[in-house]
Amino acid sequence: MRRALDMLYRAAAGLAALCLVAILVMVAVQIAARLLDFALVKLGLPPTRFIVPSLAEISGFLLGAATFLALADTLAKNVHIRVDLLTTRLPDGVRRVVDGIVALLGAGVSGFATYAMAALALKSLSYNDLSYGMVAVPLALPQAVLALGLLILTVALVDEGVLAFTGNDRITGGGASV
Amino acid sequence: MSVFELSLLVVVVLFGALASGLWVAVALTLTALAALLSRPALPDAQILATSFWSASTSWDLTALPMFIWMGEILFRSKLSDDLFAGLAPLMRKLPGRLVHVNIVGCAIFAAISGSSAATTQTIGKISLPELKARGYDERLAMGSLAGSGTLGLLIPPSIILIVYGAAVEESIARLFIAGILPGLVLALLFMGYVAIAATLKPSLMPDNADVLAKESKLTAVKRIAPAVLLIAGVIGSIYGGIASPTEAAVIGVVIALVIARAQGALSWKEFTEGLLAATRVSAMIAFILAGAALVTTAMGFTGLPRELASWIGSLGLSPYALLFALTIFFMVLGCFLDGISMVVLTTSVIMPLVQQAGFDLVWFGIYLVIVVEMAQITPPVGFNLFVIQGLTGQNIFRIAAATAPFFLLLALMVVLLALFPDLALFLPRTMFAGG
Repeated sequence: MRRALDMLYRAAAGLAALCLVAILVMVAVQIAARLLDFALVKLGLPPTRFIVPSLAEISGFLLGAATFLALADTLAKNVHIRVDLLTTRLPDGVRRVVDGIVALLGAGVSGFATYAMAALALKSLSYNDLSYGMVAVPLALPQAVLALGLLILTVALVDEGVLAFTGNDRITGGGASV
Repeated sequence: MSVFELSLLVVVVLFGALASGLWVAVALTLTALAALLSRPALPDAQILATSFWSASTSWDLTALPMFIWMGEILFRSKLSDDLFAGLAPLMRKLPGRLVHVNIVGCAIFAAISGSSAATTQTIGKISLPELKARGYDERLAMGSLAGSGTLGLLIPPSIILIVYGAAVEESIARLFIAGILPGLVLALLFMGYVAIAATLKPSLMPDNADVLAKESKLTAVKRIAPAVLLIAGVIGSIYGGIASPTEAAVIGVVIALVIARAQGALSWKEFTEGLLAATRVSAMIAFILAGAALVTTAMGFTGLPRELASWIGSLGLSPYALLFALTIFFMVLGCFLDGISMVVLTTSVIMPLVQQAGFDLVWFGIYLVIVVEMAQITPPVGFNLFVIQGLTGQNIFRIAAATAPFFLLLALMVVLLALFPDLALFLPRTMFAGG
């Protein structure tokens, strides 16, 4: 069970990382094409006028997917910021209970967000909402990915709560990386 | 529910959730939901979903993971060794000598990294041991490092300015360019202080010259060159209007990969580690932004920020008095909260007040960053102090005492910025294409 959960979080984070790589590649290709055109025009040659279609929109969707798919792994690796000023000063036993309750409360909030995002995706699906750009992406697709990310986060928060109640809480979330 | 009851509810839920250790992004979401529930017949789920959706999928925000990624790559490269070795021969003649390496090194790294903790960590892990080994005063070494580490937030690229820009829908490019001059002035203030302190109290410095391995100025310059090139590429292309912040960040990631590769520093393992670290940090921040966007929407429905703004307006405070009050408020808030949470709370609750007082949003962003920087070096919650604690093992309050002069210099910077708003606003006016 432990291994399965960790693999779930990791796999989602891996997908998230790939989304970021995809943004990098698309934007880099666009910049390279622009530089090439600049050089071609300077040389008096016709430019390629190549553009990555719907770059801004699709990058935005990929960013959303990257963020939400990585949420659970970010929690498991203790990167989400929380205020631990008070809770770290509690006696161990009390702290674990507080931590467990907080994690389950978080799971509740995250569960509601999952429901809300899934409902939005379903609504987009039933209206067949498309994005506006040259490449029309059905909005339900990225929205469903966001909902999936929130679902995995909800699982991770329940996991976190169970860990806390069984005495294995990961209390600190320093956010030192910022 | 009256406005008073509503504000009470918001404050109690928010600070209750935060204090009991609920993750910031989730605490924001919970607070917003509580505020929404106080108004009957709102489609809460739909409001949540659309707020999350539009806050998380904007093109401007794609600059965030890219700049974080660039920092993660450089953090794993040999850049910090090179900065120390390259800057040392250039700083040796100044009064205060190698302590200036801390400041200039931080300023340079700040221009390639958007985070003040990363800046402090990267420069400090080389400079603190080197300064100690040469017999420099440890207090001055720690203080100057903590102080100049905060430049990471001010000198572009800056993670916190991306967050602010995304939250108030202000041009990130303009915000970046606005941070340059105040960042340089601040670095000069720090250097001036070190020079004066070193002149007045020579015992802070070791007697012997700081002989390193024989290095000419030329080899020194060569070692700094990659960093300078990177800065020119990233900031130059934004200022020149050639690239949007996202594009500049992508150029930065590519150059950073090339530099790290050329140094032979970046194995496949380090590459994936850096990428995953960037993915997580970016997810953490973007999730907070999503939560904050929901708070902003919820607050809009409740009308609380408007009430607050008109109440403060009715007090008839002068802009300076208002800024003074805000600065004190942020100092108190900074005792409990990290910088990003402070910024998003500000943008979702007191922005109408700021607009009503007539502050320029770009200017206010720079002001906010400097105040957040001050909060980053005050205990009990001060991430730069934590980083230095991790590097030196010293007591946090001792580090904070060593940092106090630099805290005062930051406060002086706030005063300068208030008296001369053009420190922030001059460069953005001269930008090409206006960002």
